[in-house]
Amino acid sequence: MTRDMVVAEGVCKSFGRLRVLSGIDLTVMKGEVSCIIGPSGSGKSTFLRCINHLEKIDAGRLSVDGDFVGYQQRGNKLYELSDREVNSKRAQIGMVFQRFNLFPHMTALQNVTVGPLRVKSHDSSKANEIGTRLLERVGLSDKMSAYPNQLSGGQQQRVAIARALAMEPKLMLFDEPTSALDPELVGDVLDVMRSLAEDGMTMIVVTHEMGFAREVGDSLVFMDGGVVVESGLPKDMLAAPQQERTRAFLSKVL
Amino acid sequence: MPGSVDPLSSTHGAGSGGAGSPPIAAIPVRHPGRWVMGVVVAVLLAMLVNTLAFSHTVRSGQVQPRFQWGIVGQYFTSAPVLRGLVVTLELTVISMAIGIALGVLLAILRLSPNPLLAGASWLYIWFFRGTPVLVQLLFWYALSYVYPQLTLGVPFGPAFVHLDANTLITPFVAAIMGLALNEAAYMAEIVRAGIQSVDIGQSEAAQSVGMSRLMTLRHIVLPQAMRLIIPPTGNETISMLKTSSLASVTAVTELLLSVQNIYSRTYQTVPLLMVASLWYLIVTSVLTVGQHYLEVRYSRGSAQQTPLTLFQRFRLSFLPSHVNPSTIPSAMIEGRSFGE
Repeated sequence: MTRDMVVAEGVCKSFGRLRVLSGIDLTVMKGEVSCIIGPSGSGKSTFLRCINHLEKIDAGRLSVDGDFVGYQQRGNKLYELSDREVNSKRAQIGMVFQRFNLFPHMTALQNVTVGPLRVKSHDSSKANEIGTRLLERVGLSDKMSAYPNQLSGGQQQRVAIARALAMEPKLMLFDEPTSALDPELVGDVLDVMRSLAEDGMTMIVVTHEMGFAREVGDSLVFMDGGVVVESGLPKDMLAAPQQERTRAFLSKVL
Repeated sequence: MPGSVDPLSSTHGAGSGGAGSPPIAAIPVRHPGRWVMGVVVAVLLAMLVNTLAFSHTVRSGQVQPRFQWGIVGQYFTSAPVLRGLVVTLELTVISMAIGIALGVLLAILRLSPNPLLAGASWLYIWFFRGTPVLVQLLFWYALSYVYPQLTLGVPFGPAFVHLDANTLITPFVAAIMGLALNEAAYMAEIVRAGIQSVDIGQSEAAQSVGMSRLMTLRHIVLPQAMRLIIPPTGNETISMLKTSSLASVTAVTELLLSVQNIYSRTYQTVPLLMVASLWYLIVTSVLTVGQHYLEVRYSRGSAQQTPLTLFQRFRLSFLPSHVNPSTIPSAMIEGRSFGE
């Protein structure tokens, strides 16, 4: 078994004539928390979406836990995965969105249990047990039967994290999880993510929270123009960036 | 000005404001135009009631009520009329059920990534929306002329079952086919609009949990689309109730043909048309109430409020103080349009 969770080599992605990713090289090891920063339009979110099969890559190689994303290698040939296979790969990767994307017609508990119920075909008592445990873990045991529109943004995002965790993923992707939140609600969400990291979850976090990146991140990646400009230990990179572009970006956000 | 009371700076408020400022006690804006129009409408209403209920006309040398309400009452619950009403309800319910089911299927096909399926759905909708429903009804009625024998078997191969079209496709079945297949084309467009109104992030979130396309549609997208699908479907049902009267042309004894059968004998045309109209109105009213409760049911978890009923709007515009503010949707208070 490989120690690497995500390996990207020369990953490219274009939307029509717009090139969003032009050769991403990145390795994330198991148990690592990798924070990706960069200006908007640098391709951070697109890269996350590629890892979760929400976008198809045009060129390069991208693998999760030793398997290519979207393809299967047999002999010397690559075979495209069927929808069913893609779904089962996705189920092993949790994703948290900037705008939460909770299901508004379901309670917090139903949002969390829908995956175990429908995808893993658990019976409802087992699904409820999982959902209750996870909502307790994110500090929302008193909001089980609340609908998303009755919750604050921070509470919604914590439900979304619990929803992703309910599938027992081996990798969690966070797409700017605190960017849509009021400042005073950011802390609760970051606390949940910090405790996840302490439990050894492999996480890739696209974020603007430099404090979180410094304290929790094992590595920091700076992306610009669809490539990885610089990566390294967060402490070192934030204190002494090597590249001019990194320096320019950090001087604006710090 | 010395001596005058400034309503905004009064310090001895009515008390209901608690620790904060006193409530605003302003003179409401007058709406003289509203009252003038109200009087005009009231006069017109009085004229209508008068001509319907009290006016008389001379018929074959005798002074008789213009609208013969006695005859209306006489036939209103007569057996043939009630039988016709039941057939009308059957036509409406069965046609809508098939129309909705087929419409959902067509909408899903239309949004399929397979261009052949999407094209087939497009062709269906193009044909059935492009021809009048009356023509379609007559066509199904005359189907046995084109296909006297219906066979079940392998395409272009041997047949297993032969059926006589005349016994299989009764006028009732032909009417159901005509109404339902036409309705499916309209329902498909309604369902498609509903599905497409659901934020793409919802599908992505569902897929990131590992749900398949169909699971996502069934458990995530369609329940949310229902909020937009229900109101026009209610309209379609009400419309279907009345469109079903076209089946009278193809010898289905529904409500309209039942009263026609009676007045062709008695020549009491207008009172019997009133009988049919009253029944259509009654059923439509019941359907409208049902639609309101369905809308409330499916707006669960959404920020948008259900629109006010006409009765609530009356209370709000004429007796503002009698309406408990907590029951008024915020959309109404902020003056936004609620006709969507």
